[in-house]
Amino acid sequence: MLRWKYSRPLLIAMTVIFAILPFAGDNPLSKAGLQQTMAVAFLYGALALTYDLLFGFTGLLSFGHALYFASGIYVTAILVNDFNVNLYLAALCSIIFTAILAALTGAASLRTTGITFAMVTLAFGQAGHVFISRDFGGFTNGDDGLPINAERVPDFFIGVVNTKYLYLLALGILVFIYFAAWWITESSAGRVFAALRDNEQRVSVLGLNPNRFKLLSFVLSAAMAALIGDAMLIVSGSGSPRYADAGTTIALLLMVILGGPVTRWGAVLGGIVYSVLSTRLNVLSEGSAFDSLPSFISGPLSEPAFTLGMIFILIVMFAPGGISGAYYRARFKYLNKGK
Amino acid sequence: MSTFLLILITGVGLGALYFLVASGLSLIYGLMGVLNFAHGSFLTIGAFTGLWISTKVFPNPTTWTFIAAMIAGGIAAGLFALLMEQLVINRLYNRHIDQALVTVGVGLVVTALLAGWFGSDARLFPTPLWFMKAVTIGEAIIPIDRFVYIGVATILLIAMLSILKFTRIGLIIRAGVENRSMVSALGINVRLAFSTVFFIGGFAAGVGGVLISVFSYGVSPQMGGSWLIYGFIVVVVGGMGSISGSAIAAMLIGVTNQFANYYLTGLGDFVVVIILAAVLLTKPSGLLGKVNH
Amino acid sequence: MSSLEVKDLHVTINGSHILQGVNFFVPENKVTALLGRNGVGKSTTLKAIMGLNPGTGSIKFGGTEIVAMPTHKIVQMGLGYVPEDREIFASLTVKENLSLAERDAEPNYDLVYSLFPELLTRTSQRAGTLSGGQQQMVAIARALLNQNKILVIDEPTKGLAPKLVTEVANALAHVADHSTMLIVEQNLALVKAIAQNIIVMDQGKVVFEGGPENLQDEAFVKSMLGVSGGHK
Repeated sequence: MLRWKYSRPLLIAMTVIFAILPFAGDNPLSKAGLQQTMAVAFLYGALALTYDLLFGFTGLLSFGHALYFASGIYVTAILVNDFNVNLYLAALCSIIFTAILAALTGAASLRTTGITFAMVTLAFGQAGHVFISRDFGGFTNGDDGLPINAERVPDFFIGVVNTKYLYLLALGILVFIYFAAWWITESSAGRVFAALRDNEQRVSVLGLNPNRFKLLSFVLSAAMAALIGDAMLIVSGSGSPRYADAGTTIALLLMVILGGPVTRWGAVLGGIVYSVLSTRLNVLSEGSAFDSLPSFISGPLSEPAFTLGMIFILIVMFAPGGISGAYYRARFKYLNKGK
Repeated sequence: MSTFLLILITGVGLGALYFLVASGLSLIYGLMGVLNFAHGSFLTIGAFTGLWISTKVFPNPTTWTFIAAMIAGGIAAGLFALLMEQLVINRLYNRHIDQALVTVGVGLVVTALLAGWFGSDARLFPTPLWFMKAVTIGEAIIPIDRFVYIGVATILLIAMLSILKFTRIGLIIRAGVENRSMVSALGINVRLAFSTVFFIGGFAAGVGGVLISVFSYGVSPQMGGSWLIYGFIVVVVGGMGSISGSAIAAMLIGVTNQFANYYLTGLGDFVVVIILAAVLLTKPSGLLGKVNH
Repeated sequence: MSSLEVKDLHVTINGSHILQGVNFFVPENKVTALLGRNGVGKSTTLKAIMGLNPGTGSIKFGGTEIVAMPTHKIVQMGLGYVPEDREIFASLTVKENLSLAERDAEPNYDLVYSLFPELLTRTSQRAGTLSGGQQQMVAIARALLNQNKILVIDEPTKGLAPKLVTEVANALAHVADHSTMLIVEQNLALVKAIAQNIIVMDQGKVVFEGGPENLQDEAFVKSMLGVSGGHK
């Protein structure tokens, strides 16, 4: 783990720099385009961290985490659009609703373990996706996505000029989730999560009910995902069924592996890098960057998933621990050199 | 009554397609504990190979060119599966989570590669003319392609069961699904069985890919993804490692899906998920599950 | 060459250091019994020899190092293994269980069926439906089908009815006459009947090596194995 003593000043400095840049004269981050990209990336960084809490810290391989993210988005949008609820109250309701949903589905899923658990969560996630994309009850607007009524969103979040506030909102959410995750994983419950991942029997021997702690981890990460979903709704302006897709959960898994699990900052960095790469690679491919290459190479290169997939395979095979793992190996080598 | 029969046979036909995807997934998981997220790409590779045969090699579709397309699709997908097993899965021996993760990566890369080469738009799969016809059973008019799916899946089911039942490698696979380390403790190199199940699974998925192209009116790089999820659901409901379990679960899910879609207006997918949750919560090992790892 | 020499063998499973430097020698053409209380690492030692638990240290079989070899290669060198709890394939028939185990060109079915005539009448029965004793016969038969240089046998009489214990013991005694064997066994009467050497383990280490006559000494048995006498 990155030692808190050293990392605290670094993290605070980075947060302040990122917060100031959009307002500090002419630099890349003063442009709305990059602000929007970064806002989305920050939110995926935060979401990847909530997934790391499940997968990395507690050892639960869930394929349905996107459901709770989407539930945050859609419950808020529906309450605001159809029931005239205040945005912040709606967001709070969506978090509570998601926590209850996660408690119910989590309790059912946790009756199984391992790969079966992965499959049950996949099934619940798929059910949610089907529910949203088929528009049962006429609330979700199906595959067309559900834009939030802009009149009910505060003015300072609306319009291209105000993208910097969306950016700040996303950064704020990321910082909040980071602290929440730090607090949870360093608490006594967090230590039980880690013990569960390593050896479930030992936890039972101590007289603790393993499933209760797994459920706690499941519900907490779901509630945080719902909060991030609320921010995503404001940042992107609308809900879309793809947020509930199994593909989104798989992307989260890729982010955590890319950045390295169980280090917190690894997942965040993985989420940001993944999100920025997939947006930027898209832009690159629409430009003429690959035009000089023969088409059988430029074709795949213009697909972000190709590059991301290759990086992912290489990391799993040759660099377990991802970016943060590589960092700690390098640091370990450096520290041992002096001896 | 005629509607009922149409829905029933369509459901069985859909189940036949599910089976082709699920059988390999089930064997691979049963024997090796690998959850193969690249299985959807086997299907897509089979479909593209079949398309190539049916458009470039034999531009005039007949029954024989269609059979050639299915076999070529199966072999291409089987060889790709074998290659993946040798190059990637083998090197992560016994690291089950990493093996599953790396197949996620392979699935992404194959989809992106095909999209980069051929574009994301769906292409029509040319079929012999008689595929468009229908047969009349009683008052029901049933499109003939349903029977093709059922027939091909039945042939492959019998072939797979025969390999498992009557050959030595089949015996090793069956024993390995139950207790892999004891098989090696009898002096048998299990890796050969690994390669075999990957080839067989890839072959079935590749053939399935060609048929699915006909069923869903098109070949596209993304076609593997959604079928993979249904493949997983079938495998889990049927029980990991059991070919017969997969066949039964595929029929159950295909038929239920079609009936729910008709009588509950489009709720088919939803009902399928409910079945999955119900089966897993009452019998976590699935209907005919044998694996306990 | 069929002697087995274990030197400084360590095995760690799930963070527990189970074998902490095990040393012993199994001489050729003799039966060596590995004894000790429950949980001292006897089965783990056998599994490590068979390559089923990854271990460190040295295991030499007839002079060849086998410690990092894959299990199937170890078996192909001529080590026959009868695991604890039988581990027969429940969904396969008796015949299939046996034919899976065939390694030699001419598997010795005559020996197997003469030792366990009962199996002959049940060749097409699923092994999972056999009684515990019959399952143990299948497990031993799998090892005896081939010409092995050494037999590694883990608790063959565990959980068997007294009558079956005798039958299994007789079969083992018959085989023991002309082969090298390393056996873990709780039944001291059987050990006394067939073993020429005994090794006692405690807490992941070997604490005694000697002859079976020591088992006549009540105090020795009590202090080493925590049981009284050999009259089980």
